[in-house]
Amino acid sequence: MAREAALALPAARRAWALPRDAGWYALLLPAFLLMTLLYVAPILQVLAISVTEPAPGIGNYERLFTNPGVQRVIGTTLRICVTTTAVALLLGYALSYVIALASPRAQRWWLLGVLVPLWISVLVRAFAWVTLLRRQGLVNQGLDALGLIEEPLRLVWNEFGIVVGMVHYMVPYAVLPMLAAMKEIDPRLLAAARGMGASRLTVFRRVFLPLSLPGLIAAGVLVFIFSLGFYITPAILGGGKTLMAAEWIKLQILDLVRWGLGAMLATVLVVAILVTLAVFSRVVDLRRLFGGGR
Amino acid sequence: MTALPRPEAMAPAGSAAHALELRGLSKRYGSFTAVDAVSLRVERGQFLTLLGPSGSGKTTILMAIAGFVAPSAGAVLLDGADITALPPERRDFGMVFQGYALFPHMTVAENVAFPLRVRRLGQAAREAKVRAALDLVQLSAFAERRPSQLSGGQQQRVALARALVFEPDLLLLDEPLSALDKKLRAELQEELKALHRRIGRTFVNVTHDQEEALSLSDQVAILNHGKLVQMGAPEALYERPRTRFVADFLGKSNFLRGTVREVRPDMMALQAGGTRLLQAVQGAHPAPGTPALLSLRPEKIALLAGEEAADNAVAGRIEAWAYLGAGYALTVATDDLGPLRVALPAWRAPIAPREGLPVRLGWSAEAAVPVLEDADGA
Amino acid sequence: MTGGYRAGPLARGIAWATVIYLVLPITIVVPVSMTDRRYLSLPYETLSLRHYANLLGSEAWLGAIWQSLWIAIASTAIAVVAGTLCAIGCWRLARRSTEWVRALMLLPLIIPSIVYAVGLYRWFGTLDLLDRFLGVTLAHGVTGIPYVVITVSTALAAFDPRLEQAARGMGASLGQTLRWVILPRIAPGIASGAIFAFIHSWDELVLVLFIASRNVFTLPRKIWDGINENLDPTMAAVAVLLIVFTVLLLLLDGALRARRDP
Repeated sequence: MAREAALALPAARRAWALPRDAGWYALLLPAFLLMTLLYVAPILQVLAISVTEPAPGIGNYERLFTNPGVQRVIGTTLRICVTTTAVALLLGYALSYVIALASPRAQRWWLLGVLVPLWISVLVRAFAWVTLLRRQGLVNQGLDALGLIEEPLRLVWNEFGIVVGMVHYMVPYAVLPMLAAMKEIDPRLLAAARGMGASRLTVFRRVFLPLSLPGLIAAGVLVFIFSLGFYITPAILGGGKTLMAAEWIKLQILDLVRWGLGAMLATVLVVAILVTLAVFSRVVDLRRLFGGGR
Repeated sequence: MTALPRPEAMAPAGSAAHALELRGLSKRYGSFTAVDAVSLRVERGQFLTLLGPSGSGKTTILMAIAGFVAPSAGAVLLDGADITALPPERRDFGMVFQGYALFPHMTVAENVAFPLRVRRLGQAAREAKVRAALDLVQLSAFAERRPSQLSGGQQQRVALARALVFEPDLLLLDEPLSALDKKLRAELQEELKALHRRIGRTFVNVTHDQEEALSLSDQVAILNHGKLVQMGAPEALYERPRTRFVADFLGKSNFLRGTVREVRPDMMALQAGGTRLLQAVQGAHPAPGTPALLSLRPEKIALLAGEEAADNAVAGRIEAWAYLGAGYALTVATDDLGPLRVALPAWRAPIAPREGLPVRLGWSAEAAVPVLEDADGA
Repeated sequence: MTGGYRAGPLARGIAWATVIYLVLPITIVVPVSMTDRRYLSLPYETLSLRHYANLLGSEAWLGAIWQSLWIAIASTAIAVVAGTLCAIGCWRLARRSTEWVRALMLLPLIIPSIVYAVGLYRWFGTLDLLDRFLGVTLAHGVTGIPYVVITVSTALAAFDPRLEQAARGMGASLGQTLRWVILPRIAPGIASGAIFAFIHSWDELVLVLFIASRNVFTLPRKIWDGINENLDPTMAAVAVLLIVFTVLLLLLDGALRARRDP
């Protein structure tokens, strides 16, 4: 039988053999190096500073129990985060519910209303709220022109302003996981339940709510952990009077140069977030969340 | 290109042993054994089919030959040289994937040119080879189409052209026809067979379709639960299955159980209830008193008219029947041998079948084959 | 989900109010940017474009825009290259270890930027990268990686792994397989990731507050100073331009997606 060799591959490539998957592992390398050297290392250093400066030991952490200033900041942060999460979930849930039940055409428009704000610069949004809510802002002017108020309402540079701005930021993040969960619900179930004589409220309470619960929890976790470390909106709308954790950390480090204390609270933030995520890791799939929504 | 000799160049000079060989190939995934110590050999230019039910390990074996699966034990040898550790891109095998795996973002011509582009072939040579390969599968008119604009059969032929364009010694086919409808499948079977004859290269095909295996192959290797059960030419496998599984998987078969009563040089007698069976034997002779299992193909049973004699004869009653155009399929209930399936050509059926009709069945001593029970009860 | 079952009036009411709450404050900056006054207000008598003229004639603003643009482009390049290769590697290897790598890549989305900013302030101090173009670019690039990893992983989920096998089986090296088979198929996902990594850098403020001061002065930093020091309608003009820019980028992403999954 006449033998005709296959067209040979370039010789250089035949000459060396690496372990089977070495090439694929090499692809991970740039990102892995960047991430460990320029992301993880600086953050680990923060954790280290919290137990080494100003003196080695857990002195900084003792302040959690002894220093009223630290305790006040943590209290404020938790209060604002819980309020923000609750309001964002309530608004987001109603919005997701309506979107999930809308026609595909209407869904696109609703989603536009959710996604565009999500990507607009947080600074621009904070600026817009300042324009609206400050003492001489559009809201006060409007109410004044209508004769509804005697003197300007204090709408900003307090906790109220912070919550208004933060909820505005968080609602889209609440909607995405809840909407994903609700889209999985078979609409025929709802129609069937109505058909069996259940009222709208009963259908919602007995069928829709239980089925959408995983999405609700995921959204709650997400909004809560994002709120915990939020800096820009609270800093602008709080006007320096209401301090949340992130701004307090910045104050300690850039203005007071108390590295140990700032690093301590930063560590507490990271630990709180990672613990929250670990506890809820079953319900919160971050990858799916970000991959699906945008 | 002298940096390293091509694998086949390592074979003894002038040797006729241009062949693919598997030696004790095993693949385990955790505690699950997908392929269990399979050894076989394909001679150059042959068409081998790996045949088995799903989960029998046939695809894993093909993937190990292609280099996509690293065996847990054993070796893959090409012309005597061990290529087990060679990554797939350096094996120079052509492959037709299940579902074809055509690149959707390239035209037909670009798809076929891909292996040549990889080998840095010049533009002119590339175009000539692509044209020749498309001519071979009669798709020259479709060179500028995208795969999504082709029918299933055309896509299959593009995949074939792409696998053959760089003239590999070995072509691997993973269920190449399974995605096509029955009629098209028969057409392409013929084309594939003609192609194999024309280019004279070694083909290794994987399928679960026994008809495809019988009609295409020079050699068929039957696999079950990761083990090689029997390998041979299609006729040999069909006529002389070694185990019950092979007889059952290739075509249809009745199984007769009996006890060996008497053994002569070329013949033995079995007792099955009140029926005495006469059976030709080749090779090993079983000892008298031991149980035996016979495989009897339905088409080898005849209906006996009146007092007509046969080596083996048994009376029964038609339990069920179906008319299949070319013939009848009968199920005949017998006292000693249980229900027997009988295939009767319509043109020489001596009776008009009806349920409950008493009949006599007969077959020669050479019609049945002694088979072994499968070790693992499959 | 559709099936003739519609939300009740209460839910619809809250949903409408929420969308208005989400969108209206953003749109309010448009009329404010065209006010004829010197302070932040709605236009009184006529619409005026003088604040836009102010903005486009200002060295400081234009300089900040240019710096932001270059940093965003360079950091997007870093994020896209590293993120894409990493997502492909994780997809192909698909081990438990690569699941951890992928989780590692998502960290910047989870850990507050204030924590990273504090750490980076110290880290870049020792590396002498403070207040330098390279430093900000690297920081934005690293924190942009998750966006690329996510969009590329999503694109790869729809990619038939047999195509990769087919290419390797026909003799293609890893580089050839990447160039000719994988990258062309996932290009829309990469583009999406690039757009989000770009927006991320373009909008990023917290890191810049810590690791840059005079030499590197990005647009968000300029806006931040503007909000804290002098609230004038030029800020509204900047805000409008930023909104238009973001919406254009999102439309581009939408168009790419439409091409990817028709």
